[in-house]
Order: sequence, then C-alpha cells, then structure tokens
Amino acid sequence: MPQFAALLRKDNQPVRYLVVDDSVFARKNIIKMIEMFGGEVAAEAGDGLTAIAEYNRVKPDVVLMDITMPQMEGIEAVERIVRQHAEARIIMVSSVGYQENILAALQKGAKHFVQKPVKPDGLYEILRYVLSDEAGSASAAPVAAGEEFDQ
Amino acid sequence: MSHPLDDRGGDLRALFFESAYELLQTLNDAGLELETHPADPEVIRRVRRVVHTLKGDSAACGYLGLSEMAHELEDVLLPEIGQVRGAQLAEVVLAAADVFDSLLNAYRQNVEPPSTEPLRAQIRQFLKAATHTPAAAPADNRLTARFVWSEYEQLMISEALHRGENVYNLALRIDPQSAMRAAAFQLVRNVLHGIGTVIALHPEDNSAAASVEVIEAAVACTMTEEAIARRCKIPAIVADLVIARATPAETPEHDLLSELLEAQATVTVGAATPAQGAPEQRPSGSASAVNAVVESTLRVETARIDSVMNLVGELIIGKSMLNRAIVEFDRRHAHDPLHAKLLDALSFQARVLDELHKSVLKIRMVPVEQLFRRFPRVVRDVAKQCNKDVALELAGQNTDLDKGILDALAEPITHLVRNAVDHGIEPPEARLAAGKPARGTVFLNAYHQGAQVVTEVRDDGRGIDVARLRAKAVARGLLSAADAERLSDAEAFNLIFEPGLSTAAEVTEVSGRGVGMDIVRSVLDRLKGTVQVSSQLGQGTLIQLRVPLTLASIQALMFRVNNRLFAVPLSSVVEITRVSESEIHRVDQREVLQLRDHILSLVRLSSLERIHAVEARKRSFVIVIGAGERRFGLLVDSLVGEEELVIKALPEEIITSDLVSGASILGDGTVVLILNVSAVLARLSRAPALGAIA
Repeated sequence: MPQFAALLRKDNQPVRYLVVDDSVFARKNIIKMIEMFGGEVAAEAGDGLTAIAEYNRVKPDVVLMDITMPQMEGIEAVERIVRQHAEARIIMVSSVGYQENILAALQKGAKHFVQKPVKPDGLYEILRYVLSDEAGSASAAPVAAGEEFDQ
Repeated sequence: MSHPLDDRGGDLRALFFESAYELLQTLNDAGLELETHPADPEVIRRVRRVVHTLKGDSAACGYLGLSEMAHELEDVLLPEIGQVRGAQLAEVVLAAADVFDSLLNAYRQNVEPPSTEPLRAQIRQFLKAATHTPAAAPADNRLTARFVWSEYEQLMISEALHRGENVYNLALRIDPQSAMRAAAFQLVRNVLHGIGTVIALHPEDNSAAASVEVIEAAVACTMTEEAIARRCKIPAIVADLVIARATPAETPEHDLLSELLEAQATVTVGAATPAQGAPEQRPSGSASAVNAVVESTLRVETARIDSVMNLVGELIIGKSMLNRAIVEFDRRHAHDPLHAKLLDALSFQARVLDELHKSVLKIRMVPVEQLFRRFPRVVRDVAKQCNKDVALELAGQNTDLDKGILDALAEPITHLVRNAVDHGIEPPEARLAAGKPARGTVFLNAYHQGAQVVTEVRDDGRGIDVARLRAKAVARGLLSAADAERLSDAEAFNLIFEPGLSTAAEVTEVSGRGVGMDIVRSVLDRLKGTVQVSSQLGQGTLIQLRVPLTLASIQALMFRVNNRLFAVPLSSVVEITRVSESEIHRVDQREVLQLRDHILSLVRLSSLERIHAVEARKRSFVIVIGAGERRFGLLVDSLVGEEELVIKALPEEIITSDLVSGASILGDGTVVLILNVSAVLARLSRAPALGAIA
C-alpha cells in the first residue's frame, strides 16, 4: 500500500472533504483514499441538493463531486455552490463518457476533474495541486511526498 | 501499482456486488423499456447512467473485464443511435445485461469469467454501422512550441509589453493518456485565466481542442515564471510545458489599433466571465428544497440481522424457561403473593418480547416485488425464443416475505414461469384456433394467508393433460397402472414434480428435460412449504406455492409418541380428533380412518409403536394434517400443547431422515423434533405399505 505524506491545511489541520456521489460504493472508495491522505470527511451526499446543503453546513476545503446524480446533477450543484462560495474547490469525479458535463462543470467553476476509476496516486496529485493555491499547503512537502509514490 | 481494493478486505466487495446486482436489475428494466420506446432519449440516458455507474464501481473494485465491457457499451448508448436503430440497441442492452450477470457471478465465485468477445463483436459491429469512429491522433514525442500568433495577437502582445507587463508564451502538451481532451482543454483555459490576461490561445475553442495535442497561449501577468510553471503543471492533464518570454513583434499597423483595442476589451470581458461562474439563470428547485432530502434507508448486512434474530430466539427460549419455573413455583408455594407479581412481570416481558420478535421479523421482510420484477425480462426472452406472444401480469408485489425465503423462491418460480411460457402457452395460431386471443398471459400473484404467503403462477394456456401424465408415469415405472388410476386428479397433477416426468412432447432449450420441476418441490420442502397444482385442459394451469412467512420460528403443536416429544407446524394442523382402535380399518395394507364422510390415511411414527400400542392403548389421538389438498392423520399417544418454537437448523450430518425438518429446544432443555409434513406425505404416497417411519 502506497504511503502518502498527509495533505494538510495551512493551519496544519486535516483537510476537510465533502464527498458527493449517488453510489455508496463510489463514496466509500473515495473516502478510503481521503483517509489515506490524512484527510477528514466532513460530510457525504448522495445527490446535488444534499451536496449544496452539506456544503453550507460544513464549509469543506474540497468537494469531490460525481457528475451524474439523481435530484440535481453535478453541474448544477457546482454552479450553485460556486455562486455562493467563489472560493469553493470542487473536483469533478467522472468517467470518460461524460466529457460534455465535465466541460460544463469546469465552465461553472469546478477546479479540476478526475477520471473514474479513481486511483489514489492520481487523486493525491490533483488534490495537492488544487490545494496549492493556498500557499503553504501540503506542509511544504510536495517534493518529498512525490518521491514516496508507489509506482 | 497497488490496487485501491487489494488491501481493504471484503466489505467493499460485498457492497459492490449488492449494488451491482441492483444496477443490473435496473438495466434490465430500462432495456425492456427501451424495447417498447426505442427512440426515447430519456430511457437511453437512464440506461447509460446505469452502465456508467456499473463501469465506475467495477473498475474501482478491480474487475476490469466488466468495466471495459461497460465502457464499450456506453459508447453506443447515444440518443442519436436510438433514433435510427433503437430496437437493436435494446437487444444489445439486454444481451449485455446477461453478460454482466455472468461476469458478476464468476467474479463472486472467484472463477474464470466467461468470454465477452461475442458481445464486444456485436457492439463493435453495431457501432461501425451506426457511427463513424474518430481515429486516434498519433503521439508526438517532443514538445516543440511554434508560437505563431496572428497579426492581431502580436499587436496585443506588443501593447502589453509596452505597458510594462510581463508576457509569457506558453506551450502545454495535454497528457496523451487523458481521454477527455475537451475537458482538459477547458481546465487549462481556466487555469490560464487564473494566471493573468490571456492574449492569445490556440486552439480557440473546446471542440477544436479534441484533436489538438499542444495548447499554445500568450498570457500577460505579474507572476514569476516558476509560479506560472507550478500552476500550469496540472496533474493528469498537462504532460509537458514550455515557457518563454514573449518579445515585441514588428511595427504594428496603426490604423488597425484603435479598432482592435475595442475588440480586445470585449474579448477579455467575454473570456473572463465563465471562470467567475456565468450568471445565467436556470429554472431550478426552490431553495427550501435543499434541506428536504434526508436518507431514510439503511443498508445492513443480513448476517447482523440474523444474529439479532438468533438472540431474540434465545430470549423466547428464556421466556419459556421462566414460564416453567413459575408453574413450578406455584406448585410449591401456592397462594404466595409473589406469584401474582411474577406473573405480571412475566406477562409484561412476554408482550415486549412479542413486539421485539415481530419488529425483528419485519426487518427481514421485503416486498415480493424484488423477485417479481425480474420476470418481465424472463417472459420476454422465453416467449421470443419459442415464438410466442406472451404478456405478463403482476399482482400483489407489495406482499412482504422473509428475504431468505424470497431468495430461495427465486429459482422455483423462475422455473414455473419459464414452463408456463414454454409449455403452458400455445403458439399464437393454436390459440386462435382454440378461440383464444393470440396473446397468452402469465399471471404472477402473491398474497398473505394466515402465517403463510401464497405465490401463484397462472397461465391461460393449454393446461395439463392428466390422462397423459398418468400414462407417462406408468410408462416410466413410477406407478403401477392400478395406482395411477386410483390417484385423484389433484394428486395426479403432482406427478409433474417427479424427476424426469415432463409431458412436453419435445425437449426444448428453454425448459430442459423436466429436471426443473423436481427442484420446485425440493425447494418448497426445504422451506416447509407446499405446492399445489390445478389445471383445466384447454383453459390453463394454476400453481400455488405456499411458504411460511418466516423460517425463524413457528407456532407448533407438540405431542408425544412413545414418550418422545415431537412437533408439527400448527399451520398444517387441520383438526384433532380422538379414535379408538376399533375405528381404525385396513384397506390395501394401509390403516385408514373414516372421518365423517372422508377416508383418511393414518401414519404412525414408529413401527415399534404399532406393535405394542395396538394392545396397550385403546384410545389415542389423531392429528389431521393438511398439506395443500392432501390430508393424513397422525396417530399420537398424547398431546402436549401449542408452543412457539424457535427453529434450530440441524446440520446435514445429524439428520439421517428427511422426515425431520428441524429441531427446537424447550425452556427445560428438552429437544423437540419437528416433522417435515410434506416429506411424510411423499413417503406415504410412495410406500403403500403401512407407514413405518423413523
């Protein structure tokens, strides 16, 4: 199992995540990875509406958002969250077939996207990148962490 | 590379299979719907979404065969294709559902998954016919930046430099692994806009980006080169990066300038807005709806519920221990005021325990719909295979039944439904000739009856030819001609459950060689249920499966034979009567009793008892037991009473006879054997000799 240097916030606290996916399985899978990265799951949601409510409630550092969901699709959820919280870091999670939707989500303000199946090392890189806009994130260990990837 | 699931045990795996099978069911439903509404883009999208989720989940679980298969299928699930070839699309979807199913089964049993090549070929062929696939662009190894800007762009660069800004030429190569180039391009674009003012960008729009490998841009910004490099090395998107300071171009044409500056203003404004989140208003649900969604279901492993169930079972045994203790107490200390207190406490506890028991049972209950909903697909497939027109009608889908029982019923009911379509329903021409509508109907129904659930499979087909069935049983040596004649029609219908006895003239692929029907009976025996067949030649056949609501406990009648304690399920007891030996007659080597105007076959639980008891006991009890239409009387020495018995499954090695279906332990530790009523009946009809059992 690859070892990951913990991704931390500027204040050295664990990064707080909101995981949004209508598949419980997919959520659990991502949560396991988040835990491997030393993160904390602040909330989970199974659809876009809940995602918005949970965002307002827990104000996470990063949102991992599935593209296709019942109730409200990922794109609309992104749009609504970003409209209220311009600082939101939302990473879309989806597979190749939904490029149009990803594109739309990026236009609405999503910060990145990750392809399913999500691989821990890929997600780790993306999170590190997305978090790096906040100077001093990853406890200044990006290089050291990068060398520890299991390849 | 280590896989995410390798180290994380079985819980995710179990969750995966559970949700995958649900997805498969949804896929089947949607596939059938697609067949009826081939061009409906909404249905196609739904199918696609299911396939998509299945793909994601299976890939994350490491089942790449399934994931790739799903991926290929996803490619053909386009509304455009549905428009032209919807019916064939439905065919592909349903075929894929079957392949997925066999893959899942193989994964679950850890066996070699079957080949998916036939389906792949089908999809490829379909895709080739329906669309043209874009060829993959060949990869270039070295990133060579050209930075060829248009005159206008050069002008803008010069202007920015003139204003004292830093302008960088950037070339970014999109990771060739990235399958979503347009999205990758959009992301790069977002990032560039975050860095500074984008003066030039090649290619300019997302659609062109799909075929382009290198993005070139000129950006005016205040960041350092290193900072830009850090922002531009987007993981999973940008594989290679070149940064160079831009230099002023040749003297620009002056007339053009003012006009172009205006244009620039509009361009930058237009480009900046999307990144800020376009204020495009969409009609959407009210804000109050946001808080309304609450999860109201909880998935729990069956094993956990079973362990609660077992504990409740132990409590019930405990209750009966207490009851006995109080009876004992009462005997020793009659009129002790403590007795009333104990009794109160006990009855309170009994009431709560009863509620608890019911609640736990309810957890295990699921609607029959879970099983029924797979049958539209089954009926469609079988009907298609044998060129028949068959409708399926469902009723009573909301009837609740123990999950374990429901799962066990899946196989027998599937057999019955297939049989009904294959053998029951006649071909359309034959139906029309018989004055029936060309389309046959299979009805599935479920309802509660006392502590039992009845599931019915009915068809309006040709019915069972009893005479032929009898003849066949005799020909196979299952019965003597005389015995066959003696069977009532209701009894004769039961012959269809004998192994190897099928009246279908020819063996078909669908229903096989009559091996299915004996499965029906053996499963029902295991479930302590019964099967009942009735049929009217030319009108149709009705098969009723009766199973107890739950297997965990039964209301039982206990009795003694030769001082040993036995029990039968109370639900199978029709009545109890007393007889004296003189009323018992012998007919055809069988002991019978005339009970009002019926003749009842009698069974004694041991031959030993038969010898002695005849003289020893002048009067004994007969418990009249009914299983379906059939009745028999059980001769017993004494009745003990009714009790709720918590059934303990007996391991195979311990049971030497199929006549015992389980055992229970009483409060005082006594073991009671529970008789398997239908096995006793089967023994009775097979062995005409006096029932020497156990």
